[in-house]
Amino acid sequence: MSGLASGLDWLTGLHGYLAVAASLFVLGAVAVISRKNAIGVLLGVELMLNAAGLNFVIFSKYRTAAIDGQIVALFIIFIAAAEAAVALAIILRFYRLKHSMDASEANLLRD
Amino acid sequence: MAQQALWIPLLPLMAFVIQVFFGKKLPRQGDFVSVLAIFGSFLLAAPIFFRLVTTGDVSDSLSYTWMSLPVGFKGSGTGHPPVNFEIVIGVLVNNLTAIMLFMVTLCSFLIHLFSTGYMHGEPRYHLFFAYISLFSAAMLGLVISDNLLTFFICWELMGLCSYLLIGFYYDRPSAINASLKAFMTTRVGDVLFFLGITGLFYVFKTSNFTQVYQLVHNEALHELMIIGFPALTFIAFMVMLGTVGKSAQFPLHVWLPDAMEGPTPVSALIHAATMVAAGVFLLIRMYPVLEAGHMLPVVGYVGAITAFLAAMLAIVQNDIKKVLAYSTISQLGYMVMGVGVGAFAAAFLHLVTHACFKACLFLCSGSVIHAVHTQDMREMGGLRSKMPITFLAMFVSTLAISGVPFFSGFVSKDRILAGALGYGMEHSQHMLIPILGFAAAGITAFYMFRLIYMTFFGHARDEHKHHHAHEQPAPMVIPLIILASLSLAIWFAGPTGIESVDQILPVHWYDDAMESVQKSMGIVEEHSEVHHTAHSLAMVFSLVIAGLGIGLSTLMYLKAVFNPATWQKMFMPLYTVLVNLYYFDYLYMKILIQKGLLNFNSMLAAFDDRVVDRIFVDGWGRATLVVRSVVGKFDDIVVDRLMVDGTGYGTATAGWLVRRFQTGQAQQYLALMLIALGLFTLKFVL
Repeated sequence: MSGLASGLDWLTGLHGYLAVAASLFVLGAVAVISRKNAIGVLLGVELMLNAAGLNFVIFSKYRTAAIDGQIVALFIIFIAAAEAAVALAIILRFYRLKHSMDASEANLLRD
Repeated sequence: MAQQALWIPLLPLMAFVIQVFFGKKLPRQGDFVSVLAIFGSFLLAAPIFFRLVTTGDVSDSLSYTWMSLPVGFKGSGTGHPPVNFEIVIGVLVNNLTAIMLFMVTLCSFLIHLFSTGYMHGEPRYHLFFAYISLFSAAMLGLVISDNLLTFFICWELMGLCSYLLIGFYYDRPSAINASLKAFMTTRVGDVLFFLGITGLFYVFKTSNFTQVYQLVHNEALHELMIIGFPALTFIAFMVMLGTVGKSAQFPLHVWLPDAMEGPTPVSALIHAATMVAAGVFLLIRMYPVLEAGHMLPVVGYVGAITAFLAAMLAIVQNDIKKVLAYSTISQLGYMVMGVGVGAFAAAFLHLVTHACFKACLFLCSGSVIHAVHTQDMREMGGLRSKMPITFLAMFVSTLAISGVPFFSGFVSKDRILAGALGYGMEHSQHMLIPILGFAAAGITAFYMFRLIYMTFFGHARDEHKHHHAHEQPAPMVIPLIILASLSLAIWFAGPTGIESVDQILPVHWYDDAMESVQKSMGIVEEHSEVHHTAHSLAMVFSLVIAGLGIGLSTLMYLKAVFNPATWQKMFMPLYTVLVNLYYFDYLYMKILIQKGLLNFNSMLAAFDDRVVDRIFVDGWGRATLVVRSVVGKFDDIVVDRLMVDGTGYGTATAGWLVRRFQTGQAQQYLALMLIALGLFTLKFVL
């Protein structure tokens, strides 16, 4: 037990939180890349944004006495909300255009 | 004076240009242009001649550098001044020139004048005058040339004019053949003459006569060789062959009788003042070279043989112009013989006297032909009363050519024969030369009187033609009178011995003139005892022989004591040979040309066909085809496919490759971005 606990010691404190944030980012990235549904992709983006915001909070807590990081994290949340609104509007327009939510059909950039 | 002499050939040359371009449009087809031009030349030549007669010597020259050819550098290497080979041409007026200019312009002028009557109404009347103007211009240019180059240019111009004029009636096949024959035959001599000029340039580095006369005594030049012969001998031989072609000497005489196809004034021009005289004039100009090249005996033999053989041929001719043609060849033979035996002054004198009486004879024959419209003497006869002036002129000229005393021919011919006899007596191995000369003199007298008797005496053989004959108009008769009066000995004879007469007349002019010419050419004429004896002997011989010839002719053709027909039977083999012209034409046409030249030509044609065409031309074509296919393959494979198409394919492939990434799918872009980010991070960490 102690072996295992000692093996996971680095997960405590800063590194543990960073691991959570990294996991969250990877999950978000995988969702963005692999999801077919455009809303899924949007969800992935939100996850990645939150992972970044988490990092701000973590480093603010463990490395400085100031609360700058927390404030930036709050900004990120606001921006994410605004971005979600814009993104959903785009998705709606896209659905009107293609009658589909499939992100792979959004290939007009190719031309 | 040389400046003035330069205008003498230029005037007829300008007349030629005017006649060719504007002759047809001018009134009277412009004949007056040519006549006035040559008369102008005569007016320019006359003062030069009279200055010679009064002062005994004229001499002037002009020269221009015609071209300057760079041939190398002084010293070796560059940076030295270039050495130029300068070809200088110019005008030389000396006593020979003065006499020739006067004689040629006078004869040409009279012939021009005669032509206005003789050629009246002929087609291409203006062209006829253009041609004879050019002919005179060429001859005068040749006379004033101080070098062999311009001499040769004028020489060739005369060849061209003779071709044009002999073939003047170009609608007659015989005229075309005759003109071609004259052109081709003289060409043989001309080409060899040109070789001689080339040799002359090689040896002397100049062709200026005066310089050649000075250089010819340079012993060092006598050592030079050309293709294995001593250079001077080579040059002298080639110059002599030039004369043989132009002056119709054996064996290249065949063109001259055929040249009778031209209008009669042309015959007069060719035979008297120009063309054939040019050949003899060349020999006289080049005398020092002939002497230095030891060619004089050969020249003597050529002349003597020509004089004799041509005289024999004249006996059997029935065409009045052919008789005169052969007599010209024979008389030219005399002149050539005179040069050969060293009787230089005599040969030149004969050239002048012959020009006058031969021009007269030809113009008289032209007058006769114009009157009776035939050239066959057998259809003439009894014309004496119908054409008294023509008869008288022709009779005087005949006396002159036959060598009767008190006529010009006697003076000059006697001097030649005396020279030949003296030469024969000094060098007894060459005795054949004077023997042939004397024989020819007798024959000449015989056939010339035969001509006179057949034409003017006896009864009319063709009543119809005789009935229509009449004396010719003034432009045709006046030249006859002037030329006939020039056939009198008084103009050419030396001192008469009667002091009061000798003081008035310029009797010494010719000998004085010749003396200074010979001095300038470095010729020493021998005045040995033998020559004095020969002179007296020759006079007796030539008188006796001429008398014999005339007598025999009179008995045969006037008194009919002997029947020519029986003599003809008696000498049948000889007659056959003569009628066939010694088979020269047969020899040339059938053997030399048909068997030799044509075969040679077909050989050359075969060479051209098989070697040049098939091997070289076709071979070159085939080689080009091979190279073409190689180059074509290279072009196709390497250039087109590998490089041109390769560039295209490369671009297309690159485009295809890059296009794979360009899906337009944001997710894929993001994935790639993340991969790149990962890779950068990895790099950063490691």
